[in-house]
Amino acid sequence: MIIDTASKNCAEYSEARYQSDTYESILLKNGTPEITTFDVRRGIAIRALVDGGLGFGATNILTKRDLKTLLSRVLRLAKASSRIVKTPISMGQAEIGRGTVEVKTRIAFDAVSTESRLDLLKEADSAGVESAEAIGVKLPGRYISLDTLVTEKLVMTSDGARVHSTIPKVTVDAFLTAFEPQKGTVQRMFSLGESSGWESVEKWNLPERIKKEARILANILTSANPMKGERLDVVLGPEVVGIISHESSGHPGEADRVLGREAAQAGETYLSRDSIGMKVGSDVVNVVEDPTIPRSFGYYLYDDEGVKARRRYLIKQGRINEFLHNRETAHVFGVSSNASSRSVAYNREPIVRMANTFVEPGDHKLEELLEGIENGIYVKNFMEWNIDDRRFNQKYVGLEAYRIEKGRLKGLLRNPIIEITTPGLWSAVDAVGRDIEFSAASCGKGDPMQGIPVWTGGPHIRLRNVAIGGIS
Amino acid sequence: MKAEDICEFVLKICKNEGASDSVVTVAEIEETMIRFSNNEITVANTLKDASAYIFAVDRERKAGIGVADLSKKTLLTSARRAVASARRAPPGNVYAPLPKGPFQYDQTALDQPKLEMGQRELVGWVESAIDAGLREGAQRMAGSLVARNSRVILRTTGDVIASARSSSIEISVRAFLSSLASGHSTAIAASERDFKPEEVGAEAGRFAKASANPMDGEPGKYEAVLGPLVFADLACQVGRSASAFNVDMGLSFLGGKIDQKIASDKFGLADDATLRGSYGAFPFDAEGMPTRRTAIIENGTLRSYLHNSSTAKKFGTESTANAGLMIPHPFNLVVEAGDKTLEDLIGSVDKGVYVTNDWYLRYQNYATGDFSVIPRDAMFFIKNGQVEKSIRELRISDNMLRILSNVSALTRERKWVKWWEVEVPTLSPSVLVDNINFTKSSM
Repeated sequence: MIIDTASKNCAEYSEARYQSDTYESILLKNGTPEITTFDVRRGIAIRALVDGGLGFGATNILTKRDLKTLLSRVLRLAKASSRIVKTPISMGQAEIGRGTVEVKTRIAFDAVSTESRLDLLKEADSAGVESAEAIGVKLPGRYISLDTLVTEKLVMTSDGARVHSTIPKVTVDAFLTAFEPQKGTVQRMFSLGESSGWESVEKWNLPERIKKEARILANILTSANPMKGERLDVVLGPEVVGIISHESSGHPGEADRVLGREAAQAGETYLSRDSIGMKVGSDVVNVVEDPTIPRSFGYYLYDDEGVKARRRYLIKQGRINEFLHNRETAHVFGVSSNASSRSVAYNREPIVRMANTFVEPGDHKLEELLEGIENGIYVKNFMEWNIDDRRFNQKYVGLEAYRIEKGRLKGLLRNPIIEITTPGLWSAVDAVGRDIEFSAASCGKGDPMQGIPVWTGGPHIRLRNVAIGGIS
Repeated sequence: MKAEDICEFVLKICKNEGASDSVVTVAEIEETMIRFSNNEITVANTLKDASAYIFAVDRERKAGIGVADLSKKTLLTSARRAVASARRAPPGNVYAPLPKGPFQYDQTALDQPKLEMGQRELVGWVESAIDAGLREGAQRMAGSLVARNSRVILRTTGDVIASARSSSIEISVRAFLSSLASGHSTAIAASERDFKPEEVGAEAGRFAKASANPMDGEPGKYEAVLGPLVFADLACQVGRSASAFNVDMGLSFLGGKIDQKIASDKFGLADDATLRGSYGAFPFDAEGMPTRRTAIIENGTLRSYLHNSSTAKKFGTESTANAGLMIPHPFNLVVEAGDKTLEDLIGSVDKGVYVTNDWYLRYQNYATGDFSVIPRDAMFFIKNGQVEKSIRELRISDNMLRILSNVSALTRERKWVKWWEVEVPTLSPSVLVDNINFTKSSM
């Protein structure tokens, strides 16, 4: 009905999306449950192009009358916007999909009661507290949250897409503060997430994971040594490689940033329309973006414009290889959309987003990466990070980090700082590990803000002769 | 059903099902956003939503349900599920009964005039902001304009019956002279009368022009003049950290510091949802208590955290009417004004940096306040009391409490700030801070 009416009212393109997100969220704060929350957010989104102007509208009031009113407002807004559109917006060619995508679960979320979920978090929390206390360290400020989500979408477009999908997701976010009166505090945050049923939670073995994290955090607090700034060889762990892949390859490769469409919010990029083929890293660097990985947190097979998803190489052998496109940016660049259009909820416009971004594994074992280092550091994970809005200057501050001497790990280091440019970082990579791990994250972009589920990851990688800062 | 009837109906179900306390909120919202970049509109968004939230308590056991389908059948099922879920939930460690009403609210805050939100007028405001920036010398303009009408209806088993209609309008504008020279400005208002989009566009344009041909800045410790966008971001961090929930969880650098001197004498910060005509003013909190002004920091001393009933009981104090049912939050932050002008601040600096905007603040440790943030848009090197040149590529890497302690002067003039990076409306002056640590990327 929406698509037909839009076409009859001179829309050059229209799109309707029904989206329902069903959440259950629990939070354990300092060992005590907070409010258990259930939420169903569902509604319809409409996009329409009129005279080169783009309108978007959404509502959760799903009567025919309200939907007609919404469509009419979207068309009027698109028409009014076209008044100050010098280059008419158009939707480019793409492999349009028709079909159904359903992620099957082995253990449905409904089969696990809220009480069982909280019992698991309590067990994990207690394991963490006991593990730190065994080293004489308290964990006074902490939380563990567990969220399950089932997203159902139906996307239809005026040029023939019709995709129905049902995707479950589960995520755990944990925050720990280790405290010892003489040493002060250190803190750790991490996230796990997959597109699957409860079986992922069973696989994660949360009590064991939190126990290990708490023990390491306590060790960092009690025994990590401050370091002076110096130039060193560095091995980065998968968690750090993941955030770097996301921030320093994924974001700069978003075509809407290249075009300036995000300029006032998430920013632009150091790359330009002419940057395809530009050398930004060493030959061993390959950065991949792939929504189609089964169980991945950013999983989808068709994007929110109904375009079939595929693996994308953002950096190939050190050169910019491909940008992330939706149909609007693909038209401007004269390429086909590579299915990067995502929206986090029915009331949000689909925009260019990452899904699962990672450094492609190479052929080195971790021991081989370390063996090649006479004097260096190993940064396994991080806490503080940021990057400028051109995605050129970034800072990653290590949390679990070790000194490397003659190829062997020595003592823990306190907060090594990597503050470096994007080409400087990728160009320093001389070897890539064969392992791979992923972390879950919520990537922020858009206005209104859309925090969207992604995986970030990669293998261990080795960088040569990097300036490392320290806090003494 | 009308929103008022929904509240009454659901509350009755919750009572019948045996909830010891319950809260029902219905929110109705109409919003239009126009986004623009490269001097053109990129998309116009419109949203119309109505949803309910049911919060049920069975002593220390609590559950909440968000409801998008406001049919009687779904509301009935959801209310029953909320109470049953609360009953089954493991107990939390604090139970505080909901505040007992009925309360008297500020009548003028209950029913603000509705914005008309005609498409042509909204597009016209965007055009005026773009044109103003271009007239000041910018080459391209980007940003977003949001106009919103909303109504919130609240009923609680504490005999609270409250309803408020509010409207707001905001614009955030970034102007570019080149990809390396830019300026940013924002404005928020509760009515069209106070909304001046062309002034925002012009200010962003002036910053962009002034930041032409930037040089790389040199890392080091400098006196820094932080413009309202930057200091609002820091003040907003203080506001977030003042939430008792965040203090309890270790996500705050204010933990254990009540009545301690944590900042310069010159720094004061309050949360004030009662400021008539301001964007963030609101008559009641999520538990139905009439909002108030709460001094968070006075003359550099931490006076209060922000509380709802539960956190207040845990901390042995009274609610400050800042509920969030789970997490207390600031509504409308106000940094105390100083007695200087921006020219006075810049003129007093021998060698320093003037930062007009910042972006991407992250902590190494929330409990100590160790953090970094990236200056964005126009930034200038100050020498002998004069702006000498445009600079870029620096990062502020410092500590929140140290920065607050090093505040040495503030301007009389203040600006309301709320945008992508500053989530809570914040009235902030420009501020002179001694000895801020600036770092820079290698390679």
